[in-house]
Amino acid sequence: MRRIRHLPLSDALGLGLIFAVAVFSLVLLVAPSLIVVMISFDTRAYVSFPPEGFTLRWYAEVFEQGELVDAMLNSLQVGLTVTLLCIVLGVPTALACVRGRFRGTTALSVFVLVPHMVPGIVLGVAVLFAGALVGVTPSIWLQSISITVFILAVMVRTVQSRLMRLDTALDEAAANLRATPFQSLRTVTLPLLMPAILAGAVFTFVEGFDNLSVAIFTHGFHDRPLPVELLALVQYTSSPLVAAVSGVQIILAIAALVAVSMSIGLDNVNE
Amino acid sequence: MMQGRPGPATKIATAAPVLRIGAVSKYFGTFKVLEDCSLEVAEGEIVTLLGPSGCGKTTLLRAIAGFWEADGGTIEIDGQEMARVPVNHRPVGVVFQSYALFPHLTVERNVGYALRMRGLPRAESEARVAAALETVSLTGFENRYPAQLSGGQQQRVAMARVLVMEPRVLLLDEPFNALDAKLRGTMQVELRQLIKRLGLTSIFVTHDQEEALTMSDRIAVMRAGRIEQVAPPDEIFDRPATAYVADFIGTSNFWAARAEAGAVRLPDGQSAVTTLTGDVRLMARPHNLRLEVGDAGPWRGRVAFHRSIGPLVEYHVDMADGATIKVAAMRQSIDRPVADGAPVSIRIVDPALCAVYPH
Repeated sequence: MRRIRHLPLSDALGLGLIFAVAVFSLVLLVAPSLIVVMISFDTRAYVSFPPEGFTLRWYAEVFEQGELVDAMLNSLQVGLTVTLLCIVLGVPTALACVRGRFRGTTALSVFVLVPHMVPGIVLGVAVLFAGALVGVTPSIWLQSISITVFILAVMVRTVQSRLMRLDTALDEAAANLRATPFQSLRTVTLPLLMPAILAGAVFTFVEGFDNLSVAIFTHGFHDRPLPVELLALVQYTSSPLVAAVSGVQIILAIAALVAVSMSIGLDNVNE
Repeated sequence: MMQGRPGPATKIATAAPVLRIGAVSKYFGTFKVLEDCSLEVAEGEIVTLLGPSGCGKTTLLRAIAGFWEADGGTIEIDGQEMARVPVNHRPVGVVFQSYALFPHLTVERNVGYALRMRGLPRAESEARVAAALETVSLTGFENRYPAQLSGGQQQRVAMARVLVMEPRVLLLDEPFNALDAKLRGTMQVELRQLIKRLGLTSIFVTHDQEEALTMSDRIAVMRAGRIEQVAPPDEIFDRPATAYVADFIGTSNFWAARAEAGAVRLPDGQSAVTTLTGDVRLMARPHNLRLEVGDAGPWRGRVAFHRSIGPLVEYHVDMADGATIKVAAMRQSIDRPVADGAPVSIRIVDPALCAVYPH
């Protein structure tokens, strides 16, 4: 901060403003999670702030309630299925959009975005009816498919932007070095896309685990995912149990991010 | 710059060419990028495609590598037509401008890439990689990643990576562009010596005339998709076939004159032989002109500006007839350079080295 004093007033004000906005957005990002975590340790049986004591009772209760544990497991399964589907469908789509030598690659890369622009509820209803037409009833599978349709664009876009920045000479070099197009894809392009695929996987998993708007119409009646279960919980009760579930989620998310950054580095994910 | 070369001109005539490019054309839409390009490259010869950006030199290189197809003409290697041979079966090795090293693979795995793709047994592959790394003096760098190497080392990895394939033709696309100026000079000499030692038939693409003069057995000067002249560096420099080549390579002075009865009068009173008649353009290199202090000679002017370039002093002389002529003189320890503004006259040292071009 000492350096700012030697700057012209307008520059100092500008930098100060940027600094203030940065601090403000950091507070916006962290505060909700912090408040939720604080509430989850409150001793009172209803949601209130600031908390008046410390207990782990609500965390114990989360794992004692069968339906909450089941919901978590269901959401975990949906998250993993969505991620897998997005990788299997999204990576080839991105390749086609960027490397495809046919008319309409631009149209395709725009069209991929459309389901993401449609309101989630509308998409959920649409998938519900479409599923009924082909005989797929609401279930973990229909829910996974519907969320995949919704979030596929994120995987495609993440992989696409990385792909566009890869030197095309790398592919030419591979071809010159005797690689067939498939060998070149397997040994050069895909390994170099890995950071983008992993970044996309983080986003799609979170969406699969946490999506409510699409899932509310497509989830199985007996396989309720966590967001639907939580919605019911906050509608009919006001115990800090909800906060404790969120606390568990926050811990899991931090663990996942730490794992990713330790294995490949967050900088690589963002690249 | 002009080290001794074992007479390339005699070699070319004897053996069948390794690479034969016959009347190759290439269009982008209706725009002609390559027009009727023909070139033969003999065993072990380094031929440079030289020209400004957009002249088609890289396009021609990419057509030889098979990265895109030519629209007309033939490309033959060892007598075999390449049109139907896919990229990954052509006996060529490309060193890219960016080197295009695989950033996720170590030096060893970069160099061994072609052998793995071909499915060579591991032991043989390892031996050949080690040999290639030794050739480019990179033994001990096996486990480094490209990002951990200097520009010069990256270039050597790129060389080793194609050398393991034992290509019939080596294609080098402006391989010195990524290096800083000081390193370039040394790397040029080293690379030429390496290629010559290995006896590799090579096509080298550059826009840098000095690089071309250093690296080549012959230079093909390109202009707007056509090859203007193919000749050894000394001949390109001393006897440029067209005014364009003369202008592109080295420094040159041009002025207008009239040719009559097989000769053209030079402004200093001498005359040069020519087959042209009528209006012509004359060209003389700055080192073919001599500055004489005073206005005794018939071709007079005043020194407008002079600068010392290492062992040479370059004078810009405003002539009485309005032209500006550049003269290069060896720097001599006793003489002071001629001062700016001094009256001088210019003599042509060897009229036979003055080129005459149609107007």
